[in-house]
Amino acid sequence: MEKQFILHMLTTAKNLSPFDVNMALDAGWVAAIPYINVEPSEVKGLIQDVIFSRSPKGLNRTGIFIGGRDTKQARDMLKTAKNSMFPPFEVSVFADPSGAFTTAAGMVATVENELDTKFNTTLEGKNLLALGGTGPVGQAAAVLAAQAGANVRIIGRQLDKAQHVADLCNDEFGEGKISIQAGLDSDKSEYIKTADVVFATGAAGIELLSAEHIASAAQLKVAADINAVPPSGIVGLDAFDNGKEIEGTISGAVGLGALAIGNIKYQTQSQLLKQMIESESPVFLHFEHAFEVARQIIKTSK
Amino acid sequence: MPKRSILHMLDPMPNNSPFDINMAVDTGFDILMPYNNVKLEDIHGLTQDAIFSRSPAGIKRTGIFIGGRDMGLAMDMIDAAKQAMVPPFEVSVLADPSGAFTTAAALVACVEKQLKDHHGKELKDCKALVFGGTGPVGIATGVIASLAGATTALVDHMSLDAANDVAKEYNRRCQSTLSGAVANSDEEKALLIADVDIIFCTAKAGIQVLSSEVLAQAKQLKVAGDVNAVPPAGIAGIKATDNGIALDQPQGAIGVGALAVGNVKYQVQNKLLQFTLDTDKPVYLDFREAFDKAREIV
Repeated sequence: MEKQFILHMLTTAKNLSPFDVNMALDAGWVAAIPYINVEPSEVKGLIQDVIFSRSPKGLNRTGIFIGGRDTKQARDMLKTAKNSMFPPFEVSVFADPSGAFTTAAGMVATVENELDTKFNTTLEGKNLLALGGTGPVGQAAAVLAAQAGANVRIIGRQLDKAQHVADLCNDEFGEGKISIQAGLDSDKSEYIKTADVVFATGAAGIELLSAEHIASAAQLKVAADINAVPPSGIVGLDAFDNGKEIEGTISGAVGLGALAIGNIKYQTQSQLLKQMIESESPVFLHFEHAFEVARQIIKTSK
Repeated sequence: MPKRSILHMLDPMPNNSPFDINMAVDTGFDILMPYNNVKLEDIHGLTQDAIFSRSPAGIKRTGIFIGGRDMGLAMDMIDAAKQAMVPPFEVSVLADPSGAFTTAAALVACVEKQLKDHHGKELKDCKALVFGGTGPVGIATGVIASLAGATTALVDHMSLDAANDVAKEYNRRCQSTLSGAVANSDEEKALLIADVDIIFCTAKAGIQVLSSEVLAQAKQLKVAGDVNAVPPAGIAGIKATDNGIALDQPQGAIGVGALAVGNVKYQVQNKLLQFTLDTDKPVYLDFREAFDKAREIV
């Protein structure tokens, strides 16, 4: 009898996200087992218990999912997991804390697609504001956009916090190859004048971009908002919007709402969970892999 | 439709061991339910909730697994579960904290086999030491070896008192005849091993307990078994895959490595889990049944 598919789901939080559990079971994992309040220091022991209890063939049908709320911690746990294995006792690992990696991938890929189809351009050299960008989704999206060549500025209400996040993104996630800047929320009326792209990844129910901001955004091309709960983070943008022109824009800017982004995010997470099942050799997946998959999903849907 | 099989996995720790999860799924349980941070006093209520929610036919497809890291607590928990049963509302219970019962059973059974095959000896003729003897696998190894007749000492790397306390506690619980010992330097280790027939190494993964220089002092050594699969080996010269390979030194000694033990352990745990599913009459399984099964397998 073939071994059943088991996904060991680790989170530093006190519960798993039911979103991730549903996604995992729907992707084909048969048993989704929760490990909660996991300390990063416990990862090695858990991983070794996973790998030494099945044959390499059985391990091909075993996976680790890393949730939680902290992007850096999830990245570190992914690295620890990888370093705790001994070939051929290896399993695939996928980190997606708060769904942030796949959400960010969905957002950056849909934005890139709008730039391409509506403006015949790319993220390369674009001025990008990541509003509410200090959270998990904002961080991952900022890194992906910067890696694609955008001049990214993470905007926060406290400059030192935004700067800290920008440094973290540059050094840890971007491995020193990107240079995201930080900016103050109270200065965004200035920044918006030269912005080409805006990401809104703030908390639900907070308006990050007003009608005045939109009216002064002389070169804005795409604005994306992951907030599905009204009011929208960008005024006039609806959760269902998928490339519709934003009301009051003077530059023909289009909007991407939470459901348009969520659709790609959903498919991306599902495909990565399936990739763990189908891959012959172990894979270690994070936001960069999510972005490749999201781009591919958009490409093949055309 | 036949009821799906359910294994309620009770664990005093914040999380179950993924090892036990993999094993339970591979045995064929349909549904695994983790229960974490379980205290001894919770066992009664949890057990009764498990037995009273299915018909006697349905509870044949229901089992309880007790994990954790503490052998004494696991034994208390299995007793508490047993006492909570109300026949015919009764389910099988398997305790295997940290996999210690099945690992220890496999280790002792593998060593016993080599002892017989290569030296024509029984455990009761032998003097044994358990390094890492105060951890879960070490204690279970010591108890099983002692009950099988070997003169056995649990070795702690820090404190003689700790080793003696553990030996005394488990002698009382299990009617074994363990003693305690301490060795934190190579000199102390060399002295301890000078006249033993068997060395079990159950210390922490990735730590070499006995170097080849120290091991050379074990002039009477017949068989050495190591459960550490993470390099370096706990006993120098034993490779993880070794199963009855002669050591370079001391002359005549035979080594059993972690993967050889692991292979038997794996089968023991699988068979015991399977037994809880297949049996008509509920069973209560601990290190004793694990050792019987391991002996059968080797």
